[in-house]
Amino acid sequence: MSKNIRFVALALSLAFTSAATPAASVGQPAPPFSASDTSGKAVSLADFKGRTVVLEWVNPECPYVRKHYDSANMQATQKTATALGVVWLSVNSTHASHVDFKRPAEMAAWTKSQGAAATATLMDGDGKIGRAYGARTTPHLYVIDAKGTLVYAGGIDDKASANPADVKSAKNHVNAALADVLAGRAVAQPVTRAYGCSVKYADS
Amino acid sequence: MPLLHRLLLSLVLGLALPVHAAGSVVTTGEVRAELVADAPEGVAPGKPVWLGLQIEHQPQWHTYWKNPGDSGLPTTLTWQLPAGVTAGDIAWPTPKRLPVGPLMNYGYEGRVLLPVAIAVSPAFNGNALDVKLSAQWLVCKDVCIPQQGEFALSIPAQASTAANRAAFDAAQAARPQPANGAKAAAELIDDAKTLRVSVSGLPTALHGRELAFFAETAGVVEHAARISTRWEGGTWQAQVPISAQRFESPAQMQAVLVAPGATAGVQIGFAIAGMWPALAAPPVPPAATVGAAATPAAPAIGLPVALAFALLGGMLLNLMPCVFPILSLKLLGFAGHAHSRRALLAGGLAYSAGVVLSFVGLAALLLVLRAGGEQIGWGFQLQSPVFVAALAVLFTLIALNLAGLFEFGTLLPSGLASMRLRHPLADSALTGVLAVAVASPCTAPFMGAALGLAFTLPPVQALSLFAALGIGMALPYLIASAWPGLARAMPRPGAWMSTFKTAMAFPMLATVVWLAWVLGQQTSIDGVAALLAVLVALAFALWAWGRIDSGRLARMAWSSAGVVLLGAALAWALPSWREANAAAPAPGADARWQPWSPSRVATHNAEGRSVFVDFTAAWCVTCQVNKRTTLGDAAVLADLDARRVVLLRADWTRRDATISAELTRLGRNGVPVYAIYKPGQALPTLLPELLSPQLLRDALAGP
Repeated sequence: MSKNIRFVALALSLAFTSAATPAASVGQPAPPFSASDTSGKAVSLADFKGRTVVLEWVNPECPYVRKHYDSANMQATQKTATALGVVWLSVNSTHASHVDFKRPAEMAAWTKSQGAAATATLMDGDGKIGRAYGARTTPHLYVIDAKGTLVYAGGIDDKASANPADVKSAKNHVNAALADVLAGRAVAQPVTRAYGCSVKYADS
Repeated sequence: MPLLHRLLLSLVLGLALPVHAAGSVVTTGEVRAELVADAPEGVAPGKPVWLGLQIEHQPQWHTYWKNPGDSGLPTTLTWQLPAGVTAGDIAWPTPKRLPVGPLMNYGYEGRVLLPVAIAVSPAFNGNALDVKLSAQWLVCKDVCIPQQGEFALSIPAQASTAANRAAFDAAQAARPQPANGAKAAAELIDDAKTLRVSVSGLPTALHGRELAFFAETAGVVEHAARISTRWEGGTWQAQVPISAQRFESPAQMQAVLVAPGATAGVQIGFAIAGMWPALAAPPVPPAATVGAAATPAAPAIGLPVALAFALLGGMLLNLMPCVFPILSLKLLGFAGHAHSRRALLAGGLAYSAGVVLSFVGLAALLLVLRAGGEQIGWGFQLQSPVFVAALAVLFTLIALNLAGLFEFGTLLPSGLASMRLRHPLADSALTGVLAVAVASPCTAPFMGAALGLAFTLPPVQALSLFAALGIGMALPYLIASAWPGLARAMPRPGAWMSTFKTAMAFPMLATVVWLAWVLGQQTSIDGVAALLAVLVALAFALWAWGRIDSGRLARMAWSSAGVVLLGAALAWALPSWREANAAAPAPGADARWQPWSPSRVATHNAEGRSVFVDFTAAWCVTCQVNKRTTLGDAAVLADLDARRVVLLRADWTRRDATISAELTRLGRNGVPVYAIYKPGQALPTLLPELLSPQLLRDALAGP
């Protein structure tokens, strides 16, 4: 009996979620958002009007995020981007009920210890930004151009594995997308496979 | 504990530890994975041999299916086999839905066996088959742990290995069963946001039951979204939502349908009808270059350049045989007004106004219709046989008037006739409108990309582009009317005018011949004969009406006879023009060219062959020119044969929604369009509208 109720509730919640929030799609305006960063400051997409923005979904406990941080690949990509004037926002959408949850201070300490070069790290514990963008995995990368259009959504690179050694031979999609955007070209590969652990929304 | 005891204990423990590297079992905190085999008749060519990875998950832990869903990765197996032995792909058992908050994954819990068929060739000889397997899997609960294992197994060749028979049987039973006799079709609807799937011929045991849909290809379907399904008699229908961040655009797909509680699902395969839109909207970069072989992914023309090209294109339209007779008709007006400068200029402006307003009006109508969802492109008027026939009748009317069979004055009541004369401006404007109506389908060179751009622009900009086209077309006439010097250079009125007037009837009649040919392509020889009959009846009716030298009664009798005859001819002709798809014959039995369809292109590309598609229509003059010159050139055809290029023709003479959709996808709005679809490329290379052999060769040779 309770199993049926759970099933029905789940089905309803799925229907509700899918009906309520149609996820962002490439070529359309990027959904606006506003959240607190790890130091408690309010950050919103509108703050960066006229600038290219990269969103990176992160979860320090996920082996695939670790693959890119342990190999310094993510930090290097962040540094390349910010040096070109791009705004890099790391987003943590892990819900408080999940074992991977990190408090803002813990997240700040982790990003510092990793030598990350993000402009800000946003705490999205209620999953609002994640759902608006349809973020499914950690890592999941999005690029928004200066006009506010979502121009890239997908993985950081094209080798779906947990092995840090694969980073060297993989094609970095974010670097390629940023090169296209900043040169005024259409992004050659606007949507790619995002691989990793699932984003830990509520009820995960 | 005394030292000796400690040493003994560690020795015993050390010996008791399993040696992972060489065994057939790998155990982690979350799974127990074992390499198992089934070879009931030993290992020899032609004997069934199966290997597999059996995974026993700890409670609540799971691994993934070939399409893992929103996150996760499928288990991968890398085999090391002796010479002559090859392993196939994993024969995935039917997966389970694994919801994770608002996301959805597909995979396995509990115990699962991933079987792989082994092919043994005569090259294998040995007493035992030594297998090494390197496997990687992602096992998740609320956290994810990527794991891997090295396995080794030795299978005797002459003995029977059937210890795991039950597990392999269960795995085969859990495999999605091929649906024999089932017919599945899928179509993209709702702007490619939904995939409408319908399957008939499914096993009767499934009829009426709620089936879960598992797409085998990742990156297409919105996995977590609800799929609305229903049964209509024996046909199962589903509306499958497509992912907002889709990264695959398959031409066909396979899926598994699973009834609640069933261990095995049914596997269906379907082609996907409809076009996948480009993954992202292309930007409009500031630079403006219209390259010879511009790819449509980014229409590289800015608005000002597009306007300039539209102007030029409009001017060129005056040279088209569909327009020239009308223009020459206006020259007559010149000769009559050469001394009244103001009247001349006013006439010129009225003509230009008529032309521009017609273009803008057509464009507005097109935008409205497109917003209404109809798949219509530029030139749609000439795709309707009734319209073509009506135009032929009108042109014949004008030709007969020019030839002197009747005068407009005698046809109409004197009031109307003099009204016409008193409003030469309205007459000029009407001439402009007529000119546009016939010229519109002839998309001249330069206009193709501009037209395509117009429909990606906001309505105001699109309308201004069409206005520029109109201005270009009216410009030569307007310039001539504004500079009296030029008009005065024209010959003065005289006897030559009536000769000139009669002579102008012949280009008109030539246009009627062309229209009759188009009608023949759209309908049949019967349609053309019907048109000719109507034209004869028309000529008779006009002659009857114009008989001013008879008495009133006689005239009425002749007129009635003429009207009756005309009515009868039209009544007989209209059905043959109305028949939708009435035996629309392929233009010429040219075996070289096959009819185009998107799936044909995909099939040939999959074979590694390039496909050259000729988007054409009978009423498109530029198309016919190219057909007779470049596309009929023996050297060009030989070159195409040598490169094994498949030639497909998309005939847009009559309305075709599929062709219209493809033209839109390529950023074009009229014909001709010449596209080369190369294997592995998402969008084809487009060629300019006037072909040349060198151009074609260069495009084929390019990347």
